[in-house]
Formats: sequence, C-alpha cells, structure tokens
Amino acid sequence: MLRYTWKRILTGIFSLFVLVTVTFFLVRIIPGSPFQRGGVSEEVVETIEQEYGLNEPVMAQYFSYLGNVVRGDLGISYQDPATQVSDIIARAWPVTASIGIAALAVSVILGTGLGILKAVSKRRWVREVISAGGMLAAGIPGFAAAILLLLVFSVKLKWLPASGLLSPVHYILPVTALALYPSAMIARLVGNTLEGELQKDYVLFARAKGLGKGQIILTHALKNAYLPALNYIGPASASLLTGSFVIESIFTIPGLGREFVSSITNRDYTLILGLTIFMGAVVIVVNLFTDLLCAWLNPQTRRAYR
Amino acid sequence: MSVLDVRNLSVQYLTENGASEIIKDISFKVEKGEIAGLVGESGSGKSTAMLAVMGLLGNRAVIRSDQITVSGEKPVPGKNAAMIFQDSLSCLNPSVKIGRQIRETVQERLKCSRKEAEVRAEELLDMAGIRNPALRMRQYPFELSGGMRQRVVLAIALACEPELIIADEPTTALDTLVQAQILLLFKRIVRETGTSMLLVSHDMGVTAAMCGRVYVMHKGRIVESGAAEDIFYSPMEEYTKRLLNDARGGSLPGYGHESTENTTCGPVDGNGKTPVFRMEHVTKIFDEREGIRDLSLEIQKGEIFALVGESGSGKTTAARILTGILKEDGGTLYYRGAALNRDRRMDAFAGRVQMVFQDPYASLNPCLTVRESLEEALRAAGTRAVLSPETAEHAGHPESRPAHRNREKGRMEEKIDRMLRLTGLSPKDADRYPGDFSGGQRQRIGIARALIVEPEILVCDEALSSLDATTREQILELIFRIQRKIGFACLFISHDIYVVRRISDRIGVMYGGHIVETGETKKICSDPWHPYTKQLIEAVPEPDPLRAAKIKASPVKDGTGINQSGCPFAGRCGYALECCAGEVPENYLFNGREVSCFLYSDRHSGRRSSDYKMTSQI
Repeated sequence: MLRYTWKRILTGIFSLFVLVTVTFFLVRIIPGSPFQRGGVSEEVVETIEQEYGLNEPVMAQYFSYLGNVVRGDLGISYQDPATQVSDIIARAWPVTASIGIAALAVSVILGTGLGILKAVSKRRWVREVISAGGMLAAGIPGFAAAILLLLVFSVKLKWLPASGLLSPVHYILPVTALALYPSAMIARLVGNTLEGELQKDYVLFARAKGLGKGQIILTHALKNAYLPALNYIGPASASLLTGSFVIESIFTIPGLGREFVSSITNRDYTLILGLTIFMGAVVIVVNLFTDLLCAWLNPQTRRAYR
Repeated sequence: MSVLDVRNLSVQYLTENGASEIIKDISFKVEKGEIAGLVGESGSGKSTAMLAVMGLLGNRAVIRSDQITVSGEKPVPGKNAAMIFQDSLSCLNPSVKIGRQIRETVQERLKCSRKEAEVRAEELLDMAGIRNPALRMRQYPFELSGGMRQRVVLAIALACEPELIIADEPTTALDTLVQAQILLLFKRIVRETGTSMLLVSHDMGVTAAMCGRVYVMHKGRIVESGAAEDIFYSPMEEYTKRLLNDARGGSLPGYGHESTENTTCGPVDGNGKTPVFRMEHVTKIFDEREGIRDLSLEIQKGEIFALVGESGSGKTTAARILTGILKEDGGTLYYRGAALNRDRRMDAFAGRVQMVFQDPYASLNPCLTVRESLEEALRAAGTRAVLSPETAEHAGHPESRPAHRNREKGRMEEKIDRMLRLTGLSPKDADRYPGDFSGGQRQRIGIARALIVEPEILVCDEALSSLDATTREQILELIFRIQRKIGFACLFISHDIYVVRRISDRIGVMYGGHIVETGETKKICSDPWHPYTKQLIEAVPEPDPLRAAKIKASPVKDGTGINQSGCPFAGRCGYALECCAGEVPENYLFNGREVSCFLYSDRHSGRRSSDYKMTSQI
C-alpha cells in the first residue's frame, strides 16, 4: 500500500506540473494584455508590462514562474496589485468549501438513505417515486435548478434569502442546488448495487443464520454495495470543493468559482494560474484519497499491499 | 416425534404466464440424531424444497403444506434449524472477517455479550476442526481454502444450536480428499451434538456413505424412499435405477469394462513410437506459489491422458504451458519428437492444440452466434483447417477470387454442420446465441469449437466440473465417443478421479507441481502404488452403503501443504521415511508405470534382478 501511495503522489505531482505548463501557455495565447483597458495609452500598457516582466521571452517567464511556484509563491494579482493570489484563495476557498462540504454531506446522507429505500422497499410506488425523482434531479442542469429554486422559494414565497452567505438560512438554497445531482447519482448507484447484493448467497445465508433484515443490510450488504458509490463520491466531492461558477454567480457567493470567472475576463494571468494550480491540487488529492480508501475497503487489495 | 416432519409440501412459482409447480406434494421425515439423504439431479427441486422448509423462499413462491415442523414447532432459521449451502465462498460475506460472521450468529442466538460470543465462536471453530481458530477469526473468507471455508460455514450453522441442519450439496464444490474429510466431520458432529441432518446431494456415493434413510427426488416429486440399503441394493423405481447406473459407471466402456483392452486407438507402448507431445523437466514458478516443478509427461497419439490431483497441484498450469498460454521457466517441450522453440511455439503449434474450458458460460462470447464462434475458430487456425489438402493445392492457382471465396464459405458451412451433428446438436442451432442453450449444450458448443479445426491434441481443463451429474455423464460419454472415432490425443484434466478413471487410458497423478505416479488407468485405479494416489482413490465415495461403512482410511498425517525441500507429499504421507523430508525421489520405472516415491527405490526395497515384478509397497 505504501509503494502504491508514493507512486500515486508522484504521478499527482507530475499531473500538476503538466497542468501548470498547459495553462501557462494557454493563458498567454488569449489575445490582448491584462492591462489593456479603455482610455489607457499603448505606452502606459507597455511600461506596466515591462514592470511585470511580460516583455521578456515567454520561456523565460515560464521558468521564473515555475521557480516561484516551487517556492510556494503564486505572485500578486495583476488586477489588484495590493493582494497576493494566495490571499485571494485563502479568502474565497473557505466560502466555497463550506457550501461544498454541506452539499456533500447532504448528498451522501440523502443519497444513501434513498438508495437503501429504493432497494428494499416492498411498496412499489416508493421505488418508482425514488427512481423518477432521481432521474429528474439528475436531468435538470444545475443553473436551471438554481434559478428555479431562487424563483420559487425566495422571489415568490419569500421564505429564503436570495443571495449572500450571512446566516445558516442563506446556505439552504445554494446547498440544495449543489446537492441535487450528486444525491440522485448516489441514490441510483447505492440502490442498484444494493439490489444486486441482496440477491447474493451470503445474504440468504445470513437470513438462514437468523439475522434480522436491518442487520443484514447495514452490516453485510451495504459494505459490499458502497464501492461504486464511493468511486463516484470522490470525484464529485472534488468538484464540489472547487466551487461551481454557475451556482456561485447566481446566488452571488464570493467563492472560488466567481473569482475564477472574473480572473479570466480580466486576463489576470497570475490569478488564473494560481486558481488552476489550487483547484488541480484539490482534485488530485481528493482522487488519491478516494482511490486509497477504495483499495483499503476491499480486504483483498488491503492484504495484498500490506 | 420426528425432528423434521414435512407433510404434503407443494411450492408454486408465480410467473407472468401463471403459476408453475416446482414441488409437488412431497413428504419426508428426519429422526433425532440421524443423517437422512435427499438425492436427485440438479433441477429436481431439492434446493427449492429445502428453502421452503426453512421459510427462505422469495415472495414469488407460494408454499402449501399440511405440516412443516421441527420438533413440533415452526422452523425458525438460526434457532431450531440451520442451513449449509454448496458454495462456501459465495455464502460468506467477502468483506467481513470470519470472526465477526460467527460472532454475530452466536450473539443473535444466545443474546450474550460480545466477549462471550467471541469465546464461543473460537470453540465452534475448534469443533469444526479448524486449527488455530484465533488466527482464522481475524481473516477474510478469501484467505481460507475451500475446505476450511466449509468448516467455517458448519461452525456458523452450529452456532445456531439447531436441532436440524440442512446441508445442501455441502461438498460438491470440494476436492475428493477434502470432501472425505468434511463428510467425516459431519458424521462426528452429528454423533457428538445429537443434531439431525438432512443431506441434500446429487451424488449417490456421498449419500451412500452418509445416510441411513434416503429420499429420491425427481421433477419435484419424491419417487422413492426407504433405508439406504433398500434404495441402493434393490431400487424399485426406474429413475433410481438410472441414477445408480450412472453413478456406477454408466454405459462408458471405461474402468471396470474390458473393451478398452483391444481398441486400435488405445495407448501404445512408449518404446519406439514418438509421442505427439512430450514435456521434459518443465518448471514454471509464479511469484509466490509454485506452479509446477520438474514435470515430465508424454501424450501418445490417440490416447486420453488424464492429469488428476487436488486444486493447486499444477494441473492447469501444465495445460496452459501445453497450449502456449503460459511460457515455461525451464525444461523442454517436444512436438512429434522435435523440440519446440520457447518463444515461437505458436508457429509450429497453431491450431494443433485446442482447449475446452471449465465454464461453458464464460468461455463462449454471448454476442456471437454459434456459427460465428465456430467460423472465428476456423479463421484463427488459418487456411490449413478450412481447406482440405486437395483444395489447398488448387488455392494456389489463379482462380477468380469470388468463386474461391464462395467455395470456402460452403466448405465452412458444411464443416460447421458436421461438427454440430457430431457433438449432438442440430445444424439449426448454428444461428442461435449461447444464451439460448443449457450448460451441457454450451459445453457441446465448446467442444465443437475446439474440434472444428481438427486439432491433434485436445485439452479439456476441468471441462465437466461445472456440470451436474447427469449432464456430466452425457458430456463424458460424448468426449469419449468422439475421441475414439476421430482419434485425437487428449489431455484430460480433472480433480475428480472418479471421472478420470472412466475416460482415460493413462493417468498422471499430480501433487505439489510433480507427477507422483503415471501408468495405465486400470492398473493405477485397482492397485495404487503411491500413497497419495491411494488416498485419492479411497476418498471417492462409492454408491454402496455397506462398502462405504467398511472402508478404512489409509494412514494420513494431518500435515500442512506441500513439502518444499523433499518429496512434496512427505508432510501428509502416512508412510513417509526419514529421507522423504529432505530428498526428492526420482521416478522409478516399472514396465510402463512410473512412481515417484522412495518406497520403490532400490534403497528401500533392495537391489532387484531384472525380472523382478514390483508390487504395491503400501
């Protein structure tokens, strides 16, 4: 297991390096300069570019940037020279992470519960409602769901606030919008695999040895049925933790997603790169963690790596 | 009062086209402390009946009965009745430790604390004959051998402290030797605990060895019942007679019949003739376990050579090396006397070796029709097999392409039809998919696919072990008949010496990657020389209750695994000498018979004159 972990960490670092390289050059291809704005003369732009080292050869810029990144310095924002990129991340990420984690928790709990219900309920309508609801929730695009929620619950009914994250109540709508799709996916994955798992001989044998239904599902079947769901939850949590541009824009939440969108429109090279590196790192770490967890949960691979 | 009393049990399954009756009005009893048997081929409804008794059938089943009682009460799974299933791997939860799977049963039954349940679980494992139970408790099912897992399942059943244990084909998935051990264990447990047992089996031999009272089931009815002696020595029903006949060797002219003696295709003496295939001192070592070490064998033209031995003895590795799926680490392979190049074996060998696999469900592509599967095999083997010699000559002439192709196509079709007929299928079956066929029929397709390229050697790797008794009988007969008709050489691999001794001309007995004894089937089976062969043959349960009761086991040491430094069998051999542990015995040759055991060495039996006739030393 240790060797596998090391290998994964090293490939993770390599992927990050490729990501930085590709983004660095892509950003430079965007036409125009970060400092070009209405009313600013060519000379002024050139002077500022010179000051930031943007007139140097691209390769030289690339290597000096790479050196800074290795030292942990993501540079300053071109739009707002007073702030470090790392400060912007430190400000925006907790906001994104808080709604992301909340959405993750909701979708895991809700999805698992509904999945179990779908697999074991004797009532046909319960199973049908869960499947149909799941299909609907997975089918509606996030932005449509968010606008719909906004219209119904805050514009029409005025039950919930429409924007910002001032109090716990403010969390309800964005978290719901974010959790809709993952909940449906988890419910479907857990439901389907659990249904298959309950057909297996060990469940019959567990019944033959006198165990109750609840015990069989919770301690026996679910353990084997959760792996596919876990393989989905990993990447899904990575995307929740890096923020959704759409949801954050609709609910005006000052998170990573919104920073990312504005950094691109502003051609804020360092901020784009810094956010990309950060998000890439989150995705890689979360995926590594999921893979290790899955390997560890399967006793065969766990024993093999020991 | 009987422990189990079932009267007039019927089971119907509700399907979309109405109800179908699986079990028709059956009644049976099990008395206190007895082992009763329920025999019948698969599909006769035995398992359904047992699940109905336990109350474990799904909602689609409708159960009617006048009475189902265990000591006068309703059967409650895990309380007064417990059940053991065939496949110990699938009925233990793969991701839960053994200890917990037993402990939770004890807790459920005795409502005791976790600590007490753990102590009890260890006792139960010990009772089920598992050494070092504390270690096993911390392991997962996949870390245990098949025999050990079945012991765990028995321990779990015992944890319920039941009055009745229903054992549904408990030893079918096991090797003969392990089966014998588990059956002995069942007997001991019944004697010691006073539980009653209902043993469900398709195997007349197992039933004869275990049961005092026998019920014979056929198509959902109990057709005959009575004391084991009556059923086995004077069966009344045609069906019972047929089962017994199949169990005693059926219609095959194999072991016990005289007709193999003078067949033209029979085995030829090794001297003078070149074998079709020969392996010499072949080794293949995998990462941790040993595949085969120093294996030599030869297969003559037109003979069925069987490799028999328990799982892990290296049979399959040997077959895979023959087919070229695996490459040997050392040693030499000869085809018709010429050494085969290790890296370019396929060139010399393409299409000349074909294989029939164990699992007829997994070895046919479900998306290809039978015709497509067979055509694919033909194409893969190249033109040699498609065109008979005379057309192959013409193929070189400038002939219009389409005409040639049409001819080839017609020839293929004709060949496929012929092959299907030969394997007992109909040419009409060619355009159906594997999903439309039963397991036995699929195995026929697998045989047709292997034989259509006219191989010189056919490798059957456990080709019968996933089939039920009656189907197995049919396929065994089919292979035998076709082989005698066409005369290809056959390497027949099986863990079941009972099957092997009826089909093969010569046997190689494998243990721990070695062939420990080789010789003519008849001689080996009637007079085994190597201690391991003897154990194997004695372990086959005979469909004969009186003889089964008389058989005394040969001295067996309860050794563990394979001895790495000397004779591989030394650890389990009751006859082991001092030298066995540290030295590897050579192959001692006696008139067509080879045995690798120090009991047959000069050192042990003294220098012999050239006309000395060796006899069994055990």
